[in-house]
Amino acid sequence: MLANINVLLLDYALGSLKRQGGKSIFIFLVLCLLIFLLASVLMIADAIKFELNTTLKTLPQITLQRFVAGRQTNVSVERVDTILALNGVERAIPRVWGYYYFKPAGVNFSIVGIDAYEEPYKKRLSELTRTFDLSTLEKEGGMIVGEGVQNVLRENYYSDFFNFITPKGERYPLKIAGVFHSDIALESNDLMLVPKQAAYTIFGMPPEEATDIVVHVSNPVEIPTIVQKITERYPDLRAITQDDLRISYQNIFDYKSGFFLSLFIVCVFAFFIVIYDKASGLSSEERREIGILKALGWRMSDIVHAKFYESFVMALSAFLTGFCAALFFVYVLQAPLLRSVFIGYSELKPPFRLPFSVDVKMIVLLFFLSVPVYIAATLIPSWKAASLDADEVMR
Amino acid sequence: MSLTPEIIALLLLDAVFLLFGGIAFVLSAGIAWRWRSNETTELQYALHRRSYLVSVIINYIFMLKIPLFAFFIYTCDKLSAIITGAMCASGVVNSVDFGLYLTLFKIVNLYVFGFWLLLNDADMNDEKLPFTRLKFILFILFFIPLCVEIGLEIGFFTSLNVSKIVSCCGTLFSASSTSSISLLFSVDEKIWMMIFYGCFALSVAAYASRSPLASVVSNLLLALFALIALILFFSPYVYELPTHHCPFCLLQKEYFYVGYLLYALLFSGTFYAAAGGVLDLVQKRYTKRFYRLSLFFNTVYVIGISLYPLSYYLRNGVWL
Repeated sequence: MLANINVLLLDYALGSLKRQGGKSIFIFLVLCLLIFLLASVLMIADAIKFELNTTLKTLPQITLQRFVAGRQTNVSVERVDTILALNGVERAIPRVWGYYYFKPAGVNFSIVGIDAYEEPYKKRLSELTRTFDLSTLEKEGGMIVGEGVQNVLRENYYSDFFNFITPKGERYPLKIAGVFHSDIALESNDLMLVPKQAAYTIFGMPPEEATDIVVHVSNPVEIPTIVQKITERYPDLRAITQDDLRISYQNIFDYKSGFFLSLFIVCVFAFFIVIYDKASGLSSEERREIGILKALGWRMSDIVHAKFYESFVMALSAFLTGFCAALFFVYVLQAPLLRSVFIGYSELKPPFRLPFSVDVKMIVLLFFLSVPVYIAATLIPSWKAASLDADEVMR
Repeated sequence: MSLTPEIIALLLLDAVFLLFGGIAFVLSAGIAWRWRSNETTELQYALHRRSYLVSVIINYIFMLKIPLFAFFIYTCDKLSAIITGAMCASGVVNSVDFGLYLTLFKIVNLYVFGFWLLLNDADMNDEKLPFTRLKFILFILFFIPLCVEIGLEIGFFTSLNVSKIVSCCGTLFSASSTSSISLLFSVDEKIWMMIFYGCFALSVAAYASRSPLASVVSNLLLALFALIALILFFSPYVYELPTHHCPFCLLQKEYFYVGYLLYALLFSGTFYAAAGGVLDLVQKRYTKRFYRLSLFFNTVYVIGISLYPLSYYLRNGVWL
């Protein structure tokens, strides 16, 4: 029945939508708004997930963290040698990094200690260290900061250096030797690269310890085996692999958008009732119209057909409008307000751009969440309208 | 249980189906109980109107069920990225005991509702409305598998455990597995292949002989053996990997989503002949359109699936 399109009926349906004017526009706008909201949320979630997954590829294969009483603590540097001795481990690098809370701006800077004589654990870091001369950085007590950090510092009148306060309460000034721009903004906006020695001083850490250890394995297939070997040797180390991170990203974002969607369902049901009500309340004009059509020889199926076209055209155009509006809102306007739902509290709020990631799957998903529900709501009312008797209405 | 947007969408539509299916069920029961085609009372007119509503509802459900089936498989494919061990939809489907039954019920329901719509069409286009009572009795029966399917689907998504380790399709569809499918592996795959072509030949013969019954039987056999032959014989040629027999991986990007096309062809081909044949048996006549459509889809399927081993042989000079 619904498979073959009758152009004349479609034309009639369009005309009928036009005649209803105000009523159609109201429903159209509400439907648009719902779809727009839903599409925006899903797009933001997808875009952030995409961004994180891009970042993920640059992260170390295995990160080893030491846990004492369920809290992460420093790990002793000696262990690096033991881990290096394992077959298959290509590199094991102790890292010194952490957050530095800068009270005036209420932000956390990520401080990463780098060493001129050590191979950096990340490709992007090695690119950075190549452009800046690290040994002079160490000699002169300088650091390289991300764009976001530079802006925050400048707002607080630190234009060429910054005073860190060590745990002992002493001031420890470092010069801003350079500023870097990175194509992936999320990870580097709040970054400060300082010489390793400086990092130890800023954090007040003993030099024989490190924050964590990153391990590079030459054959990625061996990662699970190596993780097993390491955790057997050091049960207090927790290994986080790239795969673990990927799965948890997916889970977090599925959970977040799922949570939103669950709330959204309530709206959908409310909307369902509104539509049902609107579609059931036929004006005397419409009743007379149906009566005339029936008197002219239209069958029930013709009227239901026309009504179906009406609701389908309405739903589809609202879907397309809402979807395009969401595209504009998310990728051109960068989703003001809504994106903070996903990005969370982080105070440095890296002003990153949401990367464009829309695929057919999302369009299909959005379609299933909106159009069938709308059509379902109009099914019974349009049948009711179609089953009116001609003589009864026109009497 | 993990509530991904896809699962929520599926569950939402399930709820809609259940609601409307329930309404249609109640209406059908009333119609089947009180329908008298030779009476001209007010009640009979009201029943006729209601019967129209039921057909609208079933049309709605069926039209959505077709794309939703593909969407369900796609959702499982996506979940396979989070579930340890699963590499395609089959791992996810099999991670719950009744996952396979759920998929089967989905396919069966598509056939059954498709048949109902054909019957409905035949009924509406006949001024005597000869099948009205029959079709509503049938719908009352068909409502049960629909409810079972929805129940299984809800159960499936609730008991889906993200942290459980499941088997990958490489082990599920292999001779070594302990599932019922391993029994099929004990027979040489060439035999299955020949049975498949035999069934196709039978269906062509049935078309030539213009017998609805033969068409129904041969096409049901074709559907069954086409799936078995696909798993055992044809899939390794698609994957170009002698040990890989999964019927779900066909649906993945690596193989250009060819599975969606192949299954659509196979199901529509066998559906038209089987459902149309049953309808013809009921009506005691012969509708050529059904069998022609069926023959067309089946032939395209057979040619399509045969191209894989042939092109493999032409390129490499050996059979797998």
